[in-house]
Amino acid sequence: MKRLSKVPDSCLLSFALIGSMIVILTVLALLTITLRQITDLPYFISVATESKVVDAILLTMVAGLNAVLLLLIFGIPLAYILARTEFRGKGVVESIVDIPVMLPHTIAGIMVYILFMRRGIIGEPFSQIGIIFEGAYPGIVAAMFFVSSPYFVNAVRDGFEKVPVHLENAARTLGASRFQAFRLVVLPLSLRHIFSGSILAWGRGIGEFAAIIMIAYYPMVISTLIYYKFTTAGLRESTAVAFAMILVCLVVFAILRGLMKRVGKYDDRV
Amino acid sequence: MIEFDNVSVTLGVFRLNELSIRIKKGDYYFIIGPSGAGKTIILEAIAGLHHPDSGRVLIDGEDVSGIPPEKRKIALVYQDYSLFPHMSVGENVAFGLKLQKMPKAEIAKRVDAVLSRFGIAHLKDRAPYTMSGGEQQRVALARALVTEPDILLLDEPLSAMDQVNRDKFVADLRAIHKENDLTIVHVTHSREEALSLATRVAVIIDGTLEQEGERDEVFRKPPNRRVGRFVGIENVFDGTVSGTGAGGSVIMVGGCNIRTADVIPDGCRVCVFIRAADVSVRRAGMTADDEYNCFPAKIEKITPRESYYLLGISCGISLYALATEQEIKEKGLVLGQAVSVSFNPSAVHVTADDCLSPSLSPSF
Repeated sequence: MKRLSKVPDSCLLSFALIGSMIVILTVLALLTITLRQITDLPYFISVATESKVVDAILLTMVAGLNAVLLLLIFGIPLAYILARTEFRGKGVVESIVDIPVMLPHTIAGIMVYILFMRRGIIGEPFSQIGIIFEGAYPGIVAAMFFVSSPYFVNAVRDGFEKVPVHLENAARTLGASRFQAFRLVVLPLSLRHIFSGSILAWGRGIGEFAAIIMIAYYPMVISTLIYYKFTTAGLRESTAVAFAMILVCLVVFAILRGLMKRVGKYDDRV
Repeated sequence: MIEFDNVSVTLGVFRLNELSIRIKKGDYYFIIGPSGAGKTIILEAIAGLHHPDSGRVLIDGEDVSGIPPEKRKIALVYQDYSLFPHMSVGENVAFGLKLQKMPKAEIAKRVDAVLSRFGIAHLKDRAPYTMSGGEQQRVALARALVTEPDILLLDEPLSAMDQVNRDKFVADLRAIHKENDLTIVHVTHSREEALSLATRVAVIIDGTLEQEGERDEVFRKPPNRRVGRFVGIENVFDGTVSGTGAGGSVIMVGGCNIRTADVIPDGCRVCVFIRAADVSVRRAGMTADDEYNCFPAKIEKITPRESYYLLGISCGISLYALATEQEIKEKGLVLGQAVSVSFNPSAVHVTADDCLSPSLSPSF
């Protein structure tokens, strides 16, 4: 279709101008950091290759992935129940699922701490089999799991809801048990939602700071390390660490977004 | 045999009220009713996808409430075809057979056989969403039948098709019913589908079973005005029985005395049903073969329909009749023309509304 005028109307124009503020804010911050590091490249490289920094970045990424794996196990069944069943008190359950989104992160931290500390309801039995959360890797994963669970569950639930019930019913009458219908029809058609829910949850998990330092200040995740550097060594060093993490995140999420285009290419057609 | 024994289901605003029907083995059973009457739920109750709030569903005399859908040997084809979009046509059809853990070679053989049976062998590797509605419907039917179910449930299978495809598909369904000795339950709002395929018909309006019986009985002898309107009887009148004898009754409708073969007690208030197809229109003055129910009339309206014309005729009462284009030309029927209409007393179906109190004579 040929347009007579290439000038967008005044509404779109003003919306674009106002809305660009958000984009500009992020771009400005990234540019400032990037410029500073590029002008002082040898220093950046020396900080970024410190074993402490590399360890913290790896720890953050792996703990985040670990939390996502646990969410896949516990979150998918919950998302299916919420998507496909009606029961008394469903609204309450939905609100409970969303609570971690609403809470200030320090409060989430306290909640995680009192559950997973050595004397906590969950921490105690685990400590008896040798799994300690306080000041340890499992504590980081627990905090990440808690704060990222709503993002995962809601994204996956949306995916399940988009698969027509009729498809599942048709599979049932063709001889599939409910689980077979889930595995062969619902799951493959929601792959993209599960994948994007996982990315969301991972992003949310690796970004967590407040909840993590309460249960596990050590070993240091990247946020803890940046804050520690900021308060002890100053802005120059903490910015260099931050830039290292920014680069890693950008690369990883670019790869994941690229992968997502290949995942579950059919579910748009459902 | 499928039996509904006082089955009630509530789902949102829809409610099925104590439905009791029996569907015999080998029936091509139609459940018809206005759109949105929740007919799909009846099918889902047979398939075990919905559990009744009360009452029982029995298959071959056995209460099936504890049997999950996958063990009922029932196939269900939805209006939207419900093909699995992440599988090719061949994989869709093979789905049920794979679940039965059938050997691969046997699966391939059966899939090919059923695809050729429906003339869609060339579509085997296509993705469902690249095909037309008619093709998707064939795949859905092939997928349902390849598992050799005892009962086939069809939910408005023809509603999304154009007329040409629909006629082909009706022929297919008729053949499938004969070939496989299947019990088919078909829900629709379309009377035409029921007329061309059904052996028995149930009419459900607002969640209540209004009538159940042989196809012709349902379409010719509705039990009340609601069903009469729904099954498409064009002429429905209120009247009063003014005389009755062994051979039938005479009913006063407006200014006309209409004779019916039904015997109704004198004085009853009744509802009279006459199908437009049973009303014949002749040039004025030409005598009819039958001596009863012949009235002088005038043509007031000529409305073209898909393949015929609907004539609005006034003979004291407003009556509808059908005519082909050929008839209209031959008889020279035009608006305002005087004609004579007639219909056989056996074509006049009557239901009694109120027989307890004799109708009052008009007061002034």
